[in-house]
Amino acid sequence: MKKAEEIQLPDELRYSVDHEWVRMESGSARIGITDYAQDQLGDVVYVELPSIGARFAAGAVFATVESVKSVSECIMPLAGEVIGVNAALNDDPALLNTSPYGDGWMVLVKPDDPSAGGGLLTAGRYREHLGGAA
Amino acid sequence: MGELAKTSLYERHLALGAAMVAFGGWHMPLQYREGIVEEHLATRTGAGLFDVSHMGRFVVHGAGALPFLQRVLSNNAAALDPGYAQYTMIPDEAGSARDDAYLYRFTAGEYLLVVNAANRQGDLRYLREMLLSFPGARLEEVTETMAMLSLQGPTSRAILQGVTDGGALPEPLKNALATVSIAGSRVLAARTGYTGEPLGFELFLAAAEAPRLWDLLRERGATPVGLGARDTLRLEAGLPLFGHELGSDPAGAAIPIFASPLARFAVSFSPLKRDFVGREALARQFAAYRKIREEDYSLLSDLPRLIMPLALRGRGIARAGCAVFRDGRSAGFVTSGTMVPYRKTEGAGLATRFTGERGMRAIGLMLADSRLKKDDEVDVEIRGTRVPAVVVPFHLRSDAPPHAMPILARPIKEVPLPEAGNWQGKARDLLAKALANTRWRQEECVNLIPSEQTASPLVRRLSVLDPAFRYAEHRSLPSFYDAEVFYYQGTDFIAGVEELLRGEMARYLGCREVEPRVISGQMANAAVYSALVDHLNREDRKAEPRRIRTVLNNHIIRGGHLSAQPMGALRDFVRIDPRHERPAVVNFPVLAGNPFRIDVEAAKQVIAEERPELIIFGKSMVLHREPVKEIRAFLTAQGIETLVLYDMAHVLGLVGPLFQEPFAEGADLVTGSTHKTFFGTQRGIVAANWREEEKRYTLWESVRSRTFPGSVSNHHLGTLLGLLMAVYEMNAFRDPYQRAVLENAKAFAGALSDAGLAVAGDPGISFTETHQVVVTVAYAKGVETARRLEANNIICNYQAAPDEEGFTAAGALRMGVQEMTRFGMGPDDFRELAGYVREAITGRAVKEEVIAFRRRFRELRYCFAAEEFGGLMETLHRMA
Repeated sequence: MKKAEEIQLPDELRYSVDHEWVRMESGSARIGITDYAQDQLGDVVYVELPSIGARFAAGAVFATVESVKSVSECIMPLAGEVIGVNAALNDDPALLNTSPYGDGWMVLVKPDDPSAGGGLLTAGRYREHLGGAA
Repeated sequence: MGELAKTSLYERHLALGAAMVAFGGWHMPLQYREGIVEEHLATRTGAGLFDVSHMGRFVVHGAGALPFLQRVLSNNAAALDPGYAQYTMIPDEAGSARDDAYLYRFTAGEYLLVVNAANRQGDLRYLREMLLSFPGARLEEVTETMAMLSLQGPTSRAILQGVTDGGALPEPLKNALATVSIAGSRVLAARTGYTGEPLGFELFLAAAEAPRLWDLLRERGATPVGLGARDTLRLEAGLPLFGHELGSDPAGAAIPIFASPLARFAVSFSPLKRDFVGREALARQFAAYRKIREEDYSLLSDLPRLIMPLALRGRGIARAGCAVFRDGRSAGFVTSGTMVPYRKTEGAGLATRFTGERGMRAIGLMLADSRLKKDDEVDVEIRGTRVPAVVVPFHLRSDAPPHAMPILARPIKEVPLPEAGNWQGKARDLLAKALANTRWRQEECVNLIPSEQTASPLVRRLSVLDPAFRYAEHRSLPSFYDAEVFYYQGTDFIAGVEELLRGEMARYLGCREVEPRVISGQMANAAVYSALVDHLNREDRKAEPRRIRTVLNNHIIRGGHLSAQPMGALRDFVRIDPRHERPAVVNFPVLAGNPFRIDVEAAKQVIAEERPELIIFGKSMVLHREPVKEIRAFLTAQGIETLVLYDMAHVLGLVGPLFQEPFAEGADLVTGSTHKTFFGTQRGIVAANWREEEKRYTLWESVRSRTFPGSVSNHHLGTLLGLLMAVYEMNAFRDPYQRAVLENAKAFAGALSDAGLAVAGDPGISFTETHQVVVTVAYAKGVETARRLEANNIICNYQAAPDEEGFTAAGALRMGVQEMTRFGMGPDDFRELAGYVREAITGRAVKEEVIAFRRRFRELRYCFAAEEFGGLMETLHRMA
């Protein structure tokens, strides 16, 4: 397990208390799991992604990530419609471990409310949240 | 994590950055920094090092220890000789497991019982309560004072060997134990483990000394592995975990012990166990189990579900608790499941290689309808979706040491028949290939396989003359003063040949009786065992015959041949010993410093204690004479009546004053194959030296009748004819041939040793007293090295040395000089050959040099020259 100071939390992203990250990209939101989440999971061996076109409310389960030891559900940080999924994760789920903020992204969502990302945590606040959790 | 206990390696785990979890009341590493997948693969590829000190350890000793263990454990503790361990259950009265455990007997005086961490306190309470009825037995808990490490994987043996500075590692047999010394610590080492690795050790030592051993093993390359990978490794190996496959099922119902495939090894109904906890219920389960295996489901209610491995075909991961369906109907539950990594392979058979790439596969174990069979398709419900899966026989195999081989679920492949038609074309193709093969083997290769021999031109041509197409069954009839009566006409010629063969072979062996009708050495041995059983039961033909009481032989790992082993020809003829529930076979002890030589004094002690009814001398990896004379003298002095059989298969052509004279030394029976050091053809013989008036002659009559009609009908008359010519050749050329073989073997061994190769055996006698030379290459490199030699036209066997785990782990080569001696090679030629062997082993291509070398030795010696027979030989060429 990584020590707290080893957890990478890029400043330009927003974070949810459920350990997802959101990157706003010209009206859509790219979503994945945080470095902390992948580290806690350990080796990710299976990812179940939603279909394109699926709609989720904020707080709904949109994907399942499985490591050797456990099954974890991914919680949608903002309401919207899935307009893209990272199919590369089907063949190489370990991308979630090796590149959680890059090649290991999970879904691209068109938010119902384009300003919804504003309610999420900054890197600093999320790190504080992790400190409290630990 | 409040009151959790810490193992003596706790600080090591923290320093390695382990993710610690609470497990069974202990702080334990779930995984280290590299993670479960890497740790799993590190174990399969190299060696995993596990701290398993959390497991409960109890020492049981005292006069009542054995009766106590027999009562509370399901296995037969009386079967456990000092130096061995066994898997066992702690059953309840209903035939379910309170726990599963391993029982180790490092020394005669005490037993070590290892149980699951989570059950330790419960087991202790239960065992102490049961102990009240066994006042002579004592139980002490040593969990905290004694640490337990596990070192598992293909390099575990080399790593452990590297740190051991006193004592020998346990023998290369599952469950074998030894006490060794490592850097001043006394370490109990067991060939046991929970990973499916064919090589693996569990190590016990004083807790305070464990960190140092941990460090030493790490320095040698062992990778720390946490509980996470310990679970995936055991799952892949199909091993049960208490709380999943044993104990209670996902619905809370007790799982019968016989639901687990390992129960067959962990439960004993030996009469020596008398009554034990759960016996009645287990006997019911076993009866149901046997019926189920016969596809008779009349007792299904006693064992409705069995644990079986399953592999997912669709996407997803089956997890413990997932429901399993067969044709839409509920069929059981997954008990354990995850995604595990495996090493990808390429090639087939012995040429299978790991590519270095890895794959992932979703596998599990399930408790499912006992009527399911392998290859049956089922569905696993994963988050509301039914994912197709298949019942597989196993996920991993451990029978190709040093590696555990992943077995992937794959569709059954139909092997298509070759295309019909084009018969003439196929015939031409076969002819061309057979000619090419013969040219290669006879003209371009140096053959060093010690069990082979090229027959002389006369022998081989006689073997395909007319008798090759005939029958000549016969037996003696008392009505005609035991004259041989033939069942067919036209047999006068072959009858005469057989009579001559008996006489010439008897002259060669120095005995009175020879049975030449057996067509192989293995059949010769089987006929002798059958004859002995026949003989033992001769006075009562109505009762169920009893089998041979106890047999003393050479263990297969020390060169004993298959035909003297329970796994080979001996199996049906030797009784099962009720104490250990295995065939009643004991092995010749060997000298500590030379595992190729029988320890005569220790052997005498074994004979005095075990009173074997049959002693079998002879080996297929043989460097020394067998101590027939010494053992016979002991038997005579002690008045011990036993049958002494010398299987001379390999050394039949060396019989005589230069090697051994079996009957003069006291063998009762000699068996052998006639085509190794002997001159061919490929057949067997049985021989004895009893006179008709001797008591034992009735056994010889049994040998005759168990040969025909017991073993053969048609006894292959073509090669019988050829064999007579071979015996003439042997009787004519015996002395110079044997001298040359023995001299060549010593010269070859010496030259190989001088060339820097590790020649096995005693250098004081030039390594060998036979035609064989054994060269050690490197652990598990025997197969590869033999293949490399073959690529350079030098043909020999790879061979497992006495300390190796099996033929795939072979690190030695077995070579014999007999055939090339016949082709005229002398000591200097063998010295030259040793150079080619060395170069081929070290990787230089010498094929062309070997072909040129072989061309110098093409004419077979120690046989009659064609020109001695003039016109007869020309006629023979035309007819054969």
